[in-house]
Amino acid sequence: MARSRTGRPSAFAQYRALLMKDIHQELRTREMFTSMVVYALLVLTIYGAALAQVGDSLQVVSFAGGLLWALIVFTSLLGLNRSFSHETESGCLEGILLAPVDRAVIFLAKATSNLLFLAAVEVIVLPLFFLFFLSGADLAATTPMIALPLVVGTAGVAGVGTLLSTMTIDTRGRDVLLAILFIPVIFPLLYACVSATTTAFMGVEGTFGAFWTSCALATAYDVIMTAAAWGLYEFVVDA
Amino acid sequence: MEAGVRSSSAYAVEAHGLIKQFGSRRGLDGVDLAVPAGAFLSIFGPNGAGKTTLLRMLALLSRPTRGSLSILGVDALDDPDALRSRIGLISHKSMLYGDLTARENLEFFSSLYGEPNRARIDELLRLVELDHRRNDCVRTYSRGMQQRLSIARALVNDPDLVLLDEPYSGLDPHAAELFDELIGRVRDGRTFIMVSHDLRKGYDMCTHALILARGKVVVCAEKAQIDAAAFRDLYLATVGMGVA
Repeated sequence: MARSRTGRPSAFAQYRALLMKDIHQELRTREMFTSMVVYALLVLTIYGAALAQVGDSLQVVSFAGGLLWALIVFTSLLGLNRSFSHETESGCLEGILLAPVDRAVIFLAKATSNLLFLAAVEVIVLPLFFLFFLSGADLAATTPMIALPLVVGTAGVAGVGTLLSTMTIDTRGRDVLLAILFIPVIFPLLYACVSATTTAFMGVEGTFGAFWTSCALATAYDVIMTAAAWGLYEFVVDA
Repeated sequence: MEAGVRSSSAYAVEAHGLIKQFGSRRGLDGVDLAVPAGAFLSIFGPNGAGKTTLLRMLALLSRPTRGSLSILGVDALDDPDALRSRIGLISHKSMLYGDLTARENLEFFSSLYGEPNRARIDELLRLVELDHRRNDCVRTYSRGMQQRLSIARALVNDPDLVLLDEPYSGLDPHAAELFDELIGRVRDGRTFIMVSHDLRKGYDMCTHALILARGKVVVCAEKAQIDAAAFRDLYLATVGMGVA
């Protein structure tokens, strides 16, 4: 057999290969996407049942931010658990670790694919959330600004979630363990995003400083936690 | 060094005093090893003897707690990245994505080592006799076919050192025979190190044999210097020792 060994590819080429593999696999199976969308729809149904009896006196807008983020966090937990199932079922992660790939590149590719899948789910679920719970509500003109906490929050959830789901892949009861680790760790991000989203929904004059403060806190959280995850990933996957 | 042997060093692997500590337990306890380039070393031992721990260390998936390790003439602890592209691993797990086709799997793993070489991927698929199933998802393959494809996966980077971790696990006798035949075809001057519970197969294939027990080397010798019956008795006695 002809001998063949080419030079080591760039980190970007490896990142692209890892990301495209995840996208390709998901496009073929739609396993993660379908389960996340179905789960999100079920959560919306439960919200609907829970809020069906409360009457008109309740201002849904005042807690819609919390509802929305609870939906995103629970849906992302399901996706994060599934995102590594392909990697572990036949030892594929080991196959990747055998190659001369910087472990931080593996993290970045997995976090990007998680971010893309979660964002795709949000694109479907968000209009339904508005349709079911906010169509008759008195929304402020600042409502479109929820896009900012959504982007920052989703990026943080994907980054931290990728690290934590890698840490739990070889553990027993990893689904529960991921939730136990994930929710306390992302609590500051969740709090900031709920605050910013609620402020944007309500649009009360004079409180808008809180929106920017919350977004700044969420961004700082993303930067710090993603940098920490980037740095720690080698220890996590090589442990 | 033999002609055609793929290593600049006389030894493909040289290890001194390798220790791997897992909490209070020692997975490896001072392993010394010298595997000549181009050799086929079979590693035997009871469950928990440290075989897989040693193989994972040689695959650079795990670092020793103490000791020195040189692979293909390069210090594996100082510069593992320089070595990764020269090592292949075939395990009882296929390390293949079930939802990707054979060709997609090979292209993906190949792209982690360099620009995917389509001609080489085609050649590998022909070598493992799966070119007719190249566009089928791997999850539709039998266990034997997956294991053959995992040989192709392990060779995408054209490694000089090939590690085999219980490769016969789950293979029926016919698939195991095909697997042996393929391994014979891809020897090509490469060094092979295989962990196996199958004494007969492992012994038949090797040029060197090693028995590990409780993290220590019980015996390591060239096959020509080994009395087969005595080796078998020693192996059975060692297996009776149980785990560390």
